[in-house]
Amino acid sequence: MKKMKLSNLYLWVVFILLYVPIIYLVMYSFSKGDTMTNFQGFTMAHYQELFADTRMIQIVIDTLLLALLSSLIATAIGTLGALAIHRTTKPLMKNTVLSLNNILMVSPDVIIGASFLIFFTALKIPLGFGSVLLAHIAFSIPIVVLMVLPKLQEMRQSMLDAARDLGSSNAQILSRVILPFITPGIFSGFFMAFTYSLDDFAVTFFVTGNGFSTLAVEVYARARQGISLEINALSGVMFIFALLLVVGYYFIQEGQAKRKAHAKKGGHALEKTH
Amino acid sequence: MKKSSTNVAFYVPYVLWLALFVIAPLVLIIYQSFFDINGHFTLSNYATYFSSGTYILMTFNSVFYAFVITVVTLAISYPTAYLLHYTKHKQLWILLIILPTWINLLLKAYAFIGIFSQNGGINTFLSMVGIGPKQFLFTDAAFIFVASYIEIPFMILPIFNGIEELNESFVNASRDLGAKWWQTFTKVIWPLTISGVKAGVQAVFIPSLSLFMLTRLIGGNRVITLGTAIEEHFLVTMNWGMGSTIGVVLIVAMFIIMFLTGERKKKRGRRA
Amino acid sequence: MSKTIIELKHVSKVYGDTVVLKDINIEIEEGKFYTLLGPSGSGKTTILRAIAGFLDPSQGDVLFNGKRINEMPANERPVNTVFQDYALFPHMNVFENVAYGLRIRKTAKKDIEERVANALKMVRLNGFADREISELSGGQQQRVAIARAIVLEPAVLLLDEPLSALDAKLRKDMQYELRELQQRLGITFLFVTHDQEEALALSDEIFVMNDGEVQQSGTPVDIYDEPINHFVADFIGESNIVAGHMIQDYLVEFNGKTFECADAGMRPHESVEVVLRPEDLDLVAPDAGKVTVKVDTQLFRGDYYEIVAYDQLNNEWLIHSTNPAKDGENVGVTFDAEDIHVMRLNETEEDFDARLESYEGE
Repeated sequence: MKKMKLSNLYLWVVFILLYVPIIYLVMYSFSKGDTMTNFQGFTMAHYQELFADTRMIQIVIDTLLLALLSSLIATAIGTLGALAIHRTTKPLMKNTVLSLNNILMVSPDVIIGASFLIFFTALKIPLGFGSVLLAHIAFSIPIVVLMVLPKLQEMRQSMLDAARDLGSSNAQILSRVILPFITPGIFSGFFMAFTYSLDDFAVTFFVTGNGFSTLAVEVYARARQGISLEINALSGVMFIFALLLVVGYYFIQEGQAKRKAHAKKGGHALEKTH
Repeated sequence: MKKSSTNVAFYVPYVLWLALFVIAPLVLIIYQSFFDINGHFTLSNYATYFSSGTYILMTFNSVFYAFVITVVTLAISYPTAYLLHYTKHKQLWILLIILPTWINLLLKAYAFIGIFSQNGGINTFLSMVGIGPKQFLFTDAAFIFVASYIEIPFMILPIFNGIEELNESFVNASRDLGAKWWQTFTKVIWPLTISGVKAGVQAVFIPSLSLFMLTRLIGGNRVITLGTAIEEHFLVTMNWGMGSTIGVVLIVAMFIIMFLTGERKKKRGRRA
Repeated sequence: MSKTIIELKHVSKVYGDTVVLKDINIEIEEGKFYTLLGPSGSGKTTILRAIAGFLDPSQGDVLFNGKRINEMPANERPVNTVFQDYALFPHMNVFENVAYGLRIRKTAKKDIEERVANALKMVRLNGFADREISELSGGQQQRVAIARAIVLEPAVLLLDEPLSALDAKLRKDMQYELRELQQRLGITFLFVTHDQEEALALSDEIFVMNDGEVQQSGTPVDIYDEPINHFVADFIGESNIVAGHMIQDYLVEFNGKTFECADAGMRPHESVEVVLRPEDLDLVAPDAGKVTVKVDTQLFRGDYYEIVAYDQLNNEWLIHSTNPAKDGENVGVTFDAEDIHVMRLNETEEDFDARLESYEGE
């Protein structure tokens, strides 16, 4: 019993540690002062300031647009990539492609940013929204592949045989069986790509140039100049947004988990005979 | 049975991406590392890197910081993941672990500027208990603390998944065979969850080498890691050749880490 | 005479060095229930996949109504399969699963509803149309898989060990239902199983397979009563197989004694194997038996006792008896001349049939 309490205590400490900075941040967005010290009474002034800041609003819109566009395109390319990898039968080829796929997943952001900067400069692609969009698509593709591929592998060969047996052509198998089956994976991939894009700082920082800015870059620029409680207000808004995203993601995962559980049940029944 | 031409269509966009955004940048950064600031082919970048004490020391420091961050993160994360496994509503708990990772890293760093500042949260607290204010911001400890704070979820998630995959019967079998809790842990639980730990180490160590924004905002330019140096060379001094050289060293370090921690595992959770 | 729908001619399949099918010749006639029976790895599923179109034979022809269909892709073949793991689409409900093939064929909506309803009724799943696959039990999933295949009214329904995932009780029930369904629909069933009881109970005709070859084909009764060789005798039912010699027609010698039998057409003094089914053996007093054995162990099987005993030559004898025996007791075993079945070594099915014809035709 005592051990139980001790472990709970430990968990609570970790959770408090994780959340204190965020709460601290949001709390001061309501402070009347100008710094994150000495809470000086409740005000919504910083939020008003934030919503009146047209440059900031524009940046928020740009950031969301960038995330949406890049994740949509990355999802399309990544799904095709996963299908391609899944169809590859030669193990050497498959492993090589998978390793290449994962390079961007494990590379430090500065390397991705620096090498993309060289790449864009070499191809004379002007730095700005376009280059940032390309970069975000590029680093989101591997995560989409990694989210879709397990769903493809979960698919039993007999299911595809059944579809063919019942008269479907290749295109019909793809559109009526494979795509609906891997849809949860595609959604997870899209979601991950979206948050990757929203969250990215370092890569964007390298390839953004002067004209275009995302939220993270803007926060960095302002934070280097010192405390501005408008940023705290922004954090408050983003925390709510993140909360919504997490809840959304949670439901996607739940849906998948349920399916998986059912699939396992079915698989279990089969195992009995072996 | 028959190979259809649609197969090729699947490959095109993806292979194009592999070629343009994976292979080409990698080749380019290696290529760039052989040019000096005036665009002449040279090996001097590597010569500078390996002969100057600054770069060697910086590399050593980077690895050391990353190592400390990884160890601190692991020490906090493993027990957390282990205990989480036995909680009742673990999906909810794990969601709460993930949630902070959805707040932009810059905002979290920014929060610590406030917390660690002269009159910030920590110092107010210390003054209250009578110790008096201390300098936190722009210290090594602050950098390590904030970096660890940011990386903890990325360590917890793969370890948690590793423990989840562990079949409870193994633990019961070990106990049944007479092992004490500690023996069960060292002989059964740890070896069977080591892959999760490796994945976590990978997900923390490599990014820790390149947290230039933290070194700037929290470390106050006192801490210079490889990442900071790359950023400096690319965006401030415009010496891309030298920046690329450091990049190549970082890539090599990355492959060594990958090799040491075994097969390439996908990162669980997200990266900033 | 029924019409032949599917015929395999000299079909073989080789993967690298492994021969999976050796010169298979099979004829499938309209409206019958066929079974491919054999241990795992005997090639029975390979035959099914060759007919369904999921693999190309290395050699030989697959004929449908006399026309070669080797090159016809699986989705165009007029046969449908019930898969071992059912292969139901998890992202569709029962109705959509059954309707799948009809939708692919662009059947009119009204027809689809009607035919799906009919098919579900056939497998006794009316009222289940809106259920999700994951909500169904194994037996129900099995029925959906059958409904999905029969709704397309295939010329031949291929069933790949469809009952293997069910528990014993459900399996028995499904056997009755399958047999009934086949008779009601009148379409040909080609059923794959490794369960000899299932094969005997369901089939009009059985192909017994081993090592990629058809060992024997025939009605369940023929195969049970007159197995062609050691493998078939051993695989189908339980048997006592004893080495012996043919003295002359209708006279065989084994265990050092000569017995009358019902077999003929062999060379005098030819080495043979003698099959005696355990249920044909009767326990009598030691001196009244044709063979004297010593009881080793016995198991109560409900409707009979299964007795394992040894004769003086240490041959094992399996006896099914309605009355118990005592362990260690010496008992006599007796049997009739018709109970003895003599098998020649390495006889082909053709020769076997011809020989049987020669003396049974009288």
